[in-house]
Amino acid sequence: MARNKTFNRRNVLIIIIFVLIAATGLTVRLGYLMIVKSAEYAERAEDLHERERAIKAARGIIYDRNGIAIATNKPVSTISVIHSQIKEPEKVIQVLSDLLDLDEAKVRKRVEKVSSIERIKSNVDKEIADAIRDYDLDGVMVDEDYKRYYPFETLASKVIGFTGSDNQGIIGLEVAYEKYLKGIDGTILTLTTAYGVEIENAAEDRIEPKAGNDLYISLDVNIQKYAEQAALKVLEAKQANNVKLIVMSPKTGEIYAMVNVPEFNLNSPYTLTDNMLEGIDMTTLTSEKKNDLLNNMWRNASISDTYEPGSSFKIITATAALEEKVVSLNDHFHCPGYKIVEDRRIRCHKAGGHGSETFIEGIKNSCNPVFMELGARVGLTNMYKYFKKLGLFQKTGIDLPGEAKSIMHKPEKVGAVELATISFGQSFQITPLQLLVASSAVVNGGNLVTPHFGITAKSPDGSTVKNFEYPVQAGAVSKETSETMKNLLELVVSEGTGKRAYLPGFRIGGKTATSEKLPRSSNKYISSFIGFAPANDPQVMAVVLIDEPVGIYYGGTIAAPVVSEVFDNILPYLGIEESYTEAEIKEYSIGTVQMPDFIGKTVKEVKEILKEVDLGEVYYTGEGDIVSEQFPLPGEKIERNSDLILYLK
Amino acid sequence: MTRAEREQGKVKKFHSYYDYSLLFLTIFLVCIGLVMIYSTSFYNASRNYGKPTFYLEKQAIFGALGIIIMLIVSKIDYHFYIKKLPILKMKPVTLLFIFCILLQTYVLIFGKEINGAKRWIDLGPLGSFQPSELSKIAIILFTAYIVNLAPRKLDKFGGFVRVVVFVAPLIVLVLIPNFSTALVMGCIMIAICFVASRKKLYFIVSGIIAIGLGAIAVFGVSYRSTRIDVWKNVETHEKGYQILQGLYAIASGGIFGRGLGESMQKLGFIPESHNDMIFAVICEELGLFGAVAIILIFVLVVWRLFVIAINAPDLYGGLIATGTLTHIAMQVLLNIAVVTNTIPSTGIPLPFISYGGSSLVVLLIEMGIVLSVSNQIKFER
Repeated sequence: MARNKTFNRRNVLIIIIFVLIAATGLTVRLGYLMIVKSAEYAERAEDLHERERAIKAARGIIYDRNGIAIATNKPVSTISVIHSQIKEPEKVIQVLSDLLDLDEAKVRKRVEKVSSIERIKSNVDKEIADAIRDYDLDGVMVDEDYKRYYPFETLASKVIGFTGSDNQGIIGLEVAYEKYLKGIDGTILTLTTAYGVEIENAAEDRIEPKAGNDLYISLDVNIQKYAEQAALKVLEAKQANNVKLIVMSPKTGEIYAMVNVPEFNLNSPYTLTDNMLEGIDMTTLTSEKKNDLLNNMWRNASISDTYEPGSSFKIITATAALEEKVVSLNDHFHCPGYKIVEDRRIRCHKAGGHGSETFIEGIKNSCNPVFMELGARVGLTNMYKYFKKLGLFQKTGIDLPGEAKSIMHKPEKVGAVELATISFGQSFQITPLQLLVASSAVVNGGNLVTPHFGITAKSPDGSTVKNFEYPVQAGAVSKETSETMKNLLELVVSEGTGKRAYLPGFRIGGKTATSEKLPRSSNKYISSFIGFAPANDPQVMAVVLIDEPVGIYYGGTIAAPVVSEVFDNILPYLGIEESYTEAEIKEYSIGTVQMPDFIGKTVKEVKEILKEVDLGEVYYTGEGDIVSEQFPLPGEKIERNSDLILYLK
Repeated sequence: MTRAEREQGKVKKFHSYYDYSLLFLTIFLVCIGLVMIYSTSFYNASRNYGKPTFYLEKQAIFGALGIIIMLIVSKIDYHFYIKKLPILKMKPVTLLFIFCILLQTYVLIFGKEINGAKRWIDLGPLGSFQPSELSKIAIILFTAYIVNLAPRKLDKFGGFVRVVVFVAPLIVLVLIPNFSTALVMGCIMIAICFVASRKKLYFIVSGIIAIGLGAIAVFGVSYRSTRIDVWKNVETHEKGYQILQGLYAIASGGIFGRGLGESMQKLGFIPESHNDMIFAVICEELGLFGAVAIILIFVLVVWRLFVIAINAPDLYGGLIATGTLTHIAMQVLLNIAVVTNTIPSTGIPLPFISYGGSSLVVLLIEMGIVLSVSNQIKFER
């Protein structure tokens, strides 16, 4: 056996020195990785382990001018089960099927399914979700979420708009004020394994969501409701396609109401309304076709559709003529029922003609030849100058998406015939809102306002984030012309074609219009009326358009009463008091009377007394001849024409 | 020490020595290994087998078995391996060597493929066995035996070549499916020859030649040159995933670690984290302190092996201890170097700690043999 010699031992020592050097080197390498590179790599590793789960931020609430919420958030929850974490499956099945009102077999199937996570129900109301959470069942997840909710459902649907699945605005104000309404989503950072399974009991990093800002708008829920009622009434009565109605403050441009009936339900915006489905075979409805229909349903026609304004545009022509001083109020005109312009014979709406008339009578009669004459006197250049001043060549700048532009003749293409038709509102198209804004400028002393809804954005804690300001262009019309026009338009209502808009006790101005839709031969009309009150100091202005009414289609006959009805409701609401003229008191028996004492009187005696007192209906109750009790009580001051109840014995 | 005591020592001159330090260090390492295997594998085990202790149990059985075998082997005189067996008329070391050659040939043809490499023999319910582990023992014993036959010849290059000619067949058979194990085996052979040789120059010359051949072997095989690309661009290379995850684990451990059982990277980010990458998880959980402590324990083991090697009663025993020393040191260094991306990746388990039954049992048998060498050391005081 060979000996283990000294050189053998030295050689082993050499090997072990190599080993120790290598081990030292690797230790240094480890130190470098674990001290110098530690932070960098650890962070990258963290990125791998962390999973971000978004917490939806609550969207800002939209309030009307009275502070009533018209677009708000409903807290909802999604209930899911995690199979591997369920400890008491029977209890889970029983609780969930009871509280969620679901079929037990259905819940059982989901609970017993082996999957990482199984959704049982989403959009669960908060109270139910809280009840489920209180059971504290293992493996049952309650995730909170928000769902946009519109308490008034169809109210001003096309104005307010709705939101999509990510809580983003899709149409209307929800889009226009997205920047303010949208909150900043929060995140939950959880640790997960490489397979994406969350680790229990791991510390969660939570970044709280930031709720969006609340939006206060000029729309008034009550005015909108009145307006919608009136619009719906005429829509049904006249079997019209649609009715548009805008109510605006002519002084500020704040819009109180914007109606486009039929509206749709904002809480289920993807459900086509009945009118959209009219004449459509559901079985052949392609998704493309359905999309088109939905887009149509959502369309805010008041700002997106243009039309020929017709006679209501005579307000603008008259204003231009007065501004240019080419006409005075008592100038005489003659209407034979038509006017020859170049080689064309353009008819007046009254076949026989209005005969000889002053300018005032011309506007009261809405006489086309008079306005053709005015247009010719003003001339194209000046007409277009006023169109421009009154904003007819540009969008109104309303804070809603999808506003249409007017369609006007190019000045070089306008001959005498075109000028004549423009003068009474034909051969070009504007939006109803443009007409409203231009007419506002005419009656408010010449200020071209920007129509708008948005007033203030406030953070959830109530501090103001932004007060929205809108440009006003002063001097579109001179003060004198504005005063004159107010008087003239009041005359149209009190004595002229707009007399069905007349409301006793209020001074109302306005102009009717009946626009024939293109092609002319189709005999389809848009009846409209634009009105304002009080005529001496306009606080509110409204325009109504009835699209394709069946039967009588004259604006003065069917559109004017709509505005009158709206004004009847909203003028007292807006704090504009009635003040009756003597003629009105007489004509409409307005005033108070003192209730006579009928007690103890016979029916015959009662009838004698009634001849001298203006009372409404008299109701007798009970059997007998002698009045034992009466309502109202004797001596009370009551409105004229009030009803009286007498109890006999 | 008083003179009387020394006298007494002289009386007990032939008192046997047994390296209990090495024995306990070894058992301690096995225990650390079991703890870390449980820590690294419970997630994957419960995920894949529904039983968190799946890997732990298997490894613990092999550990217990291995320790028993080690204790038995440590009591067998290592000269037994080079004595002719009575009936067969052959030496056990030769038998083992031939047996390993047969096994390696068998595995090349009928081996069971795991992860694309044919390295295992399927033993049915007993699991699978990696013959290349056994071949490591064969290399140590056989090389030491060959060298011991004529140690003086090693002083010349021709003598070294003679050893290589004898040993090379087994190494080549291992090299075909398993480069890294062959590398370890080659190094064991060279280390044994080196220790037996008086001359160093031809080792330097042949070392350079070996590196040249190694380079051809590495770059000639496409999957190995890919590994070099990965090594250079570990953060961007698509195949660098596993190594990069290991680096993330090591680095996120920092100085004090996340704490035992708190590793994130073992949760599926490092595939098979209880195998070759276990050191990365040790770093993540126990920090730089824990990692250095483990390295120090290995250094102590190597140190004990060194002490046995230089005190061995004869050259044969010294060479066996040297071979074992080289084996363990090479595997520890290569494993840590791979995990820290210091060298291109290659599959080397961390001795005693990484999961793997055949590897653990074979290592424990080796330790048993070395312990038996230590057992033959006589006090010469």
